[in-house]
Amino acid sequence: MDATPVDVALVKEAKKGNKDALVRLIMDEKQEYFRLAYAYTKNQADALDALADMIVILYEKISQLKNEARFDTWSRTILVNCCKDILRKKKKIIPFGQLPEISHEGEFRRKDEEIMLDSALAKLSRKHQEVLKLRFFLDFDYQTIADILKIPVGTVKSRISIGLAKLKVILGGEDFAGN
Amino acid sequence: MPEIENMLKKQGKEFNHIEPPPEMEERLRTALESTAKRKHPRKMWFPKAAVVIIALFLFGYQFDTFAYYGKKLLGYDQVLTGTLKELNELGEGQSIGKSYTFKNGVSVTLDGIMLDDNQMLVFYTVKDPRGQMDESDFLIPMSLKGLFKEYQMQSGQGDMNEEKTEMKNMFQFQPPLFFERKLTLSFSLEENNQREFGEIPFSLDWDKAMGHSIRKPLRNVLAVDGIKIRFDSLTASPTTTVIKGQIQSIWELAQDKMKGERIRPENMGLKLLANGKEVPGQSSGMRTDMKGITFHQEFDALPRDLQELQLQLVSFAADHDVHEQVELNIKETEKSLEILGQKIVINEVFHKNGDTFIKITTEENVLFTQIDLIIDNKKADLIETTSDQYDKKPDGTILHTRILHFPGSGSKLELDIKSMKYEKKYDLTIDIPLDS
Repeated sequence: MDATPVDVALVKEAKKGNKDALVRLIMDEKQEYFRLAYAYTKNQADALDALADMIVILYEKISQLKNEARFDTWSRTILVNCCKDILRKKKKIIPFGQLPEISHEGEFRRKDEEIMLDSALAKLSRKHQEVLKLRFFLDFDYQTIADILKIPVGTVKSRISIGLAKLKVILGGEDFAGN
Repeated sequence: MPEIENMLKKQGKEFNHIEPPPEMEERLRTALESTAKRKHPRKMWFPKAAVVIIALFLFGYQFDTFAYYGKKLLGYDQVLTGTLKELNELGEGQSIGKSYTFKNGVSVTLDGIMLDDNQMLVFYTVKDPRGQMDESDFLIPMSLKGLFKEYQMQSGQGDMNEEKTEMKNMFQFQPPLFFERKLTLSFSLEENNQREFGEIPFSLDWDKAMGHSIRKPLRNVLAVDGIKIRFDSLTASPTTTVIKGQIQSIWELAQDKMKGERIRPENMGLKLLANGKEVPGQSSGMRTDMKGITFHQEFDALPRDLQELQLQLVSFAADHDVHEQVELNIKETEKSLEILGQKIVINEVFHKNGDTFIKITTEENVLFTQIDLIIDNKKADLIETTSDQYDKKPDGTILHTRILHFPGSGSKLELDIKSMKYEKKYDLTIDIPLDS
């Protein structure tokens, strides 16, 4: 995804404590923010909770943001951390691997392939799942992922390639549950 | 490898359809408004979030006629709400109190279970004295092994403390067969790519099961869209109400498949009304197996003073086989088609950068699940759907306009529609008699 240049004037306004300006910064890119939160939390309620947590932190810490043009990356890093906090605290567990029946998510049931892929992804460690989702679901480039997660680009690349290799093994039918 | 990358990318495309809900801005503003007053707003958020999720799962129920036995489970306040909280207050269920400790010191304690005709709830605590609960991976998809059968977990949720040393969990399983006396809970822990398995065996005390309040066969059939939905049973227990039924028998399924007219049900909107008031839904499922297509839908427990009960079908969505070829001309405008009663408008056909683009409009819940373009007698697979646009009409219908992108171009174009999904609204009510 190409990063949209951020409205520096608006960031400066937000730094002065203008709440409207801060909300506008997020709402101008509402789809990107929501999808990022959704990629982690996988449900609307948690995604909204993460976004609410994020804006509170942004408001409290925006005065520390030195480079206004970096608002985008900075806020997304905070959002990712908020999502992880929510997941950690709730540890909502969905047993993909052995779904006896398929539950409905939204208007139309997901296709078998997606369920299979989801189930395989769920078996990867969180750090591998995370980079694969950011890369393939949200179409972020390596550098953006590195910036958001605060890890070197090389690590992003190696996590992606390890994640893909593990997915291949899992989808190849190896029994990861170890029974 | 590229195959997996393609699968991931394809799924990512589905992701493009996820839209932020309208209340997003309101949520952000509300969060900000409360910041100035709060010193530790982040701590305040969690309980709120937890309540939202759990409230969806189980919701307000009154039941006070159970015998008092068992012991109240302590520390599950965050996990239990509504119906279950009250049952726990009453000491319903069976306390177990057995533990297993992994080599690294992490322990799992099975605190207790609650069992009725519809489900078995397992309550357990995981403790990590090191405070690294979030570092290890509990492959909790655990199971309950009985004498003859292994029971699979269906859903679950938990609540971790701030120190990351303790997590309380409640998992839902299908109820065990009536003759099971001994069960074994098995689970595993993964750390540093090492997996360790643990087990806790326990005896099941059927005297402490809560049974059911109503169980009745239903013999109702609703005909929709050329298929019959049969409702088979309703079981109301102290914790939940389950409706079961069948959409197609295996025989009907086979016949349709041979005729190439398969209908794959996708989603069914069912409402349960108790004393005229909607009972909150909890979950639903549909499966195709040797029994044909069967479904179940779970609702909250029924009110105690039940006088009337109704089931309403409000919508039905399915994927249908279609065999339609539509000839198109370049620069075609506003060509209207009707397939299986659904209106489809081809707004525009155009070439760009050597590829062919088709702009179409349908109702919101119409989706082509298999569509190709035959260009000069050669099949071209759909590359992507772009520029989604939703338009709400004064009568409430929402129209969805999008552009289908096919590779290549040519003079003879034919759209080949093989299958499509759509949802229809209904207003069909079944009265469930309570006297028999």
